[in-house]
Formats: sequence, structure tokens, C-alpha cells
Amino acid sequence: MLTAVREVQIPLIAALMLGACSAKLLRALRTWSVDAGLGPTALFPMRMRRPLAMVFCAIECGLGIGLILTAGRFGSGPPANCIRLGAGLMFLVATSALIELRAVRPDVGCGCFGDFSTAPVSGRTLARAALLAAAALSTIGLPPVAAPKPGTDTIRLLILMVTELVVLAALSPELGEGLIRLGYSEPCELRALPTERTLAALHRSKQWRRHAGLITADAPTDVWRELCWRYAVFPARYGDRDTEVAFAIFLKPRRPTIHVAMVDALTGEPITWPAPPSTPADARDRYGSRQTQHVAG
Amino acid sequence: MAAGPLARGCCDRCPRAVAGAAAAVTAPGAAVARRRLMKAAVFPARVGQEMPEPGSARGNADPSGIGFADAGQLPRAISGTVIDVSPQVLVLGDDADTQRFTLTPDVTTWRGGRLDPAALRPGDHAVLRLRTSSRHTIDRIWANIGRVTGVITERSGGTLVVDEGATRRPRVVSIQPRAFGRIQVRFPTLEPGYLIDIIGVHRDGELDGMIPATSQPAYPASRLPHPPLVSGHVPDAIRGSATWHEPLEEPSSVLGVCYPALDPDTGCAEDAAGRHSHGYARMPYLAIGSVLRVTNECTGLDCTLPVTGCAPVAKLFNDRCVTCGTSPRGRIADLTLASFVALGGELEGGCFNATITIGE
Repeated sequence: MLTAVREVQIPLIAALMLGACSAKLLRALRTWSVDAGLGPTALFPMRMRRPLAMVFCAIECGLGIGLILTAGRFGSGPPANCIRLGAGLMFLVATSALIELRAVRPDVGCGCFGDFSTAPVSGRTLARAALLAAAALSTIGLPPVAAPKPGTDTIRLLILMVTELVVLAALSPELGEGLIRLGYSEPCELRALPTERTLAALHRSKQWRRHAGLITADAPTDVWRELCWRYAVFPARYGDRDTEVAFAIFLKPRRPTIHVAMVDALTGEPITWPAPPSTPADARDRYGSRQTQHVAG
Repeated sequence: MAAGPLARGCCDRCPRAVAGAAAAVTAPGAAVARRRLMKAAVFPARVGQEMPEPGSARGNADPSGIGFADAGQLPRAISGTVIDVSPQVLVLGDDADTQRFTLTPDVTTWRGGRLDPAALRPGDHAVLRLRTSSRHTIDRIWANIGRVTGVITERSGGTLVVDEGATRRPRVVSIQPRAFGRIQVRFPTLEPGYLIDIIGVHRDGELDGMIPATSQPAYPASRLPHPPLVSGHVPDAIRGSATWHEPLEEPSSVLGVCYPALDPDTGCAEDAAGRHSHGYARMPYLAIGSVLRVTNECTGLDCTLPVTGCAPVAKLFNDRCVTCGTSPRGRIADLTLASFVALGGELEGGCFNATITIGE
């Protein structure tokens, strides 16, 4: 059983190292700066951060590949033990560096998985690094790993692997960030929608056609946005009074919900709309269920 | 969260300390009120819910009914020129208009470092915070304090030229030799293209840099990292770092907040200049005149403030505020000096952990 636990560590640690290295490289490619990932390199002077980040990334990649290559009979013995010892030492150093980082720069993320590791170093991050150090050191002296026999051995290995993955996921603040990215759709509050499109949608709407007779200018006197709504104010004339018609248009590209009100141009007091037609059919048309009209005042 | 009388007190304006302040405040205030009236007409129920504290003393004076500061109340944050100072009294103002404030032994004063209030000199520009219990008694004094936040454009030894945005003139900051080490720990790359945020003391039109206001982001300003994604609806309350900026052209008593995510169609001069269209913090789009409730998590004070401008430089920072705990990354509000002081912020600290509430 213990041997099986030790055998599971090698592919897991190798996968984590290669994943971490890839995430750092992706970030470096996107920002064109290898030191932009921060993490423990933030503890060093600026001129040393770039080379240190590159060295750290190269070591991760080398150890990850080395762990896989020496897992079997190839390179078994001292070479494999050296690589496993190196992996263990790397995680020990990382744990110590993260403790220091947490004390000196509590605002900086660990940078372990590039963009995903922006959350400040927490107890979970430290526990993960310590656990991986112990896991890597436990593989020293392990005989060459052979392919498991189909049946009980395979199932047992799978259960061990899944269990350890669950533990690591629980210790990884990066998981939440990754899940957000998988199912992301931009909220309407953050969606950029040009004013022209909003006004075009307004001009196509039933609400606009209904009140166009009152409005005296094509261009709005004021347009602004708050959260998911864009407001447009048009000058209008109702009877012998100068008024303003304010529209609130929900920010979605097609058939937006629109609310409208009329106010006195001088005082800003809401004005009651002209009385609706008397027949029920006309009333339904005038106060449609989709585009609601607020009778102010 | 502190609310009620204490919170209302933080919103008091300073109508007299700076000449012309009231007039300057009225125009944008009218625009804000007009938009609020329009919004209230379109969404009567919703805006009715947004009007807190119906029994508040501010309600009658504020036509928009939002709960902004009432200019008739005594001020909490005041700035002006020191006319005279004695161990018990500080006289602030100019030859035409002066105000006297009581100094107590526990008043702390800052001018590049802690000093005795009696060490203030006539001619110093002072920012005062008054006690909530007695509006003639000083709680805190900052003298000649200044801040430069922006992108380094030139460097010559310890002197930096900093771009604070398209709407402001470049600023010059001279880092004092005794402060150089401390600043370089937090700002290791004092090179053109990188961000800087330094607090110091005004001298002869320049700023003597004394204190790093934050830690330098590792990226150049032109390579802003992508902000973290937000799923679902944006929460009404957003946490992050709130900073302050120098008034420069605006009256120093203006209460307001520069918001880092104005609608791109608003015509913000920074966007028109083709600089950075988005910031680090993912925040909902608002407009000039939108209303925020800003809460200082460190003091519990909160205040309803109008959005008075965009924050072209603040939005480039992905730093955290660690004044009381660690805030989420990103600057969510760049407050006017008066707002920051009124909310209990320490100017030399540079930031406070803040929560902003939109559309409450």
C-alpha cells in the first residue's frame, strides 16, 4: 500500500511541475515579461527577478521531465534519486520562500501557476507546497515503477490518485479562478455597448414611436450609463410646456426593455402622460407587457 | 459599519476654507441632481429605495435627495494656508477670511514626518481633520503634503518627471537622498514607462518624495495584465483599495470620487487621448454623477459621494491596500483629498481598505 502511495506521487508531481511551468510560460508570452508573474521573485531586487524567474521555470520543467523519464528502469538508481531529491528540495525552498513572501509582501500572490495564482499567499498555499515537498521526498529510493496490473491494482492506484488530487484541489486557491474562466460570460454591467447602438435600438422601439410626436430634437441632450442601463434625455414639448422625455434602455443588443418618463424642463417635476385610449385593445397596444411605460406623477 | 450621525458627519463640506469652492461645487452638483431627477422619474420605486436616511438633516438641503453633504453644516475636512500658530490655536485662511481652530496636546501633525503642531510655519498649506465631537477642535494636521501618481516619463538621478494623465500637467518629483532607499525597496524600477506613487512634501513647485504610497506593479504601464474575470452579475458591493489624489485645478474641499470604469462612451479625455481604455479592476460602468457609497473598512465611516471624474492612472494599478488587512487587488476609488480625510483616511498612508456600494 505504502509503495503504491509513493508510486502515485511521481506522475502527480511531474504533471504539477509541467503545468506550473506551462502556466508561467503562457503568462510570459502574453505579457512579454518573464518577471511579471511575481511570486517569490518579488523578494529579490528587480535586476535579479527576471533571471531568477527564468531559472525557476527551467528547473521546474527539467525536474518534471526528469521525474517522468526516470520513473521506470531508465535512469533508475542514483540519477532518479537525484532528481527526486531535487524536486523535494525545490518544494522545501518554495515553502520557505512563500512563508517569507507572506510576511514581507502579503499583497503578492505565489505565482505558482501564472495568472491563476494571483490570490495572496494563504495557509492553503503553504500547506500545498509542504505536502508536495513531503511527497517528492517520499519517492527517494523507490524502485522503478512498473505498469499496474489490470484489475485491483489499477483501481487502487486510481483511487489513490483521485484522493490526492482532491486534497491538492482543496489546497489550491487557483481552482476557483480556473472554474470561473471555463464558464465565463460577461455580465451586462461590464459589457461595452456603443451609444449609437443603444440609440438605434431606441429609435426602432415602440416606446419611441409612441412619444416621437412630443420630442423636438433628434439628438439627446444628455446620455449616460449606470450599470446595465443607458439613459437618454430628449427635449420635448407637451401642450404649451417645455418638457424632457427620459428613456432608460436596458443594455442588450436586441429588443431591449425600455422605460420612459416625462418631466418639466424647468423644474424637473414628473408630468402625467396624455390619457391612454379608452378601448381595451388600444390600451393593450399602448401599454405592452414587454416595454413598460411608467406614468410619472 | 458606522452609519447614522457619525457617517453623516464625515460628509460635511467646507464652504469657506477655500475661496470659490462653493461655486465650483454647485455646477457639477446641479448636473448630478438633474440626472438623479430623470432617473427618479423613470424608476420611481427604485430610486425611492435608494434614498436612505429619510430623517437625515441633509435631506432638505439636497434637492436630489441622495444624501450628499450639506454645505450648511460645519466642515470635517478643511484645507488652507497657515496664518498663525500657537500651542493652543491654529489660524487658517488668508488675509480676507480666517478660521481659528483649537489645538490639543494629542494632535498629530505631519510634514514629511511627525512634528509638533507649533512647528508649523505661516505659509504652510495645511489639511486639517476636525473632531466629530467638536468641530472647532483639530484631530489631525498634514502640512504641505502632496502626492504624485502616474507613469514615469523621464529620470535624471533622483528627479523624475511623472505623467499623471492627459488632463493633468506632468509633475516633477525629487526623491530625497535619505528617502531613496526606502522608496527603492517598494519601487525598484524607477525607469520611464513604469508606474510610481509617492507621497511627499511640496517645495518650490516640486514634490520632495518621502514615502512610497504602495508597491510598484511589476509590469510597465503599457503592459497592463488582464484583470480577473467576473462571473454572473457584478456584486453591488465591491472591495478594494481607495486612494486619494491632489486637487490641483479643482477646489480642495470638493467631495467626490474619481471612478476607474467610466462608460467608454462618456468621452473621458483619457480615452480620447488613446491611452488605456480599461483598468485592472473589473468594475461596472458608471457615468459622471453616478452615486457611490464609499466605506472605509478600517474606520467604519461611510459616505455617499458622486462620481466626479475618471481615474486614468489609478486604474492602472493592481496593488492591494494593507492598511487593515489585505484588500482585493485593484484600486476601486480615487477620492478627492477632502473625501479621503473625511472618511478617516491617513493621507501619508496613501490608501484605505474600501467597499463601494453602487445602486444601494
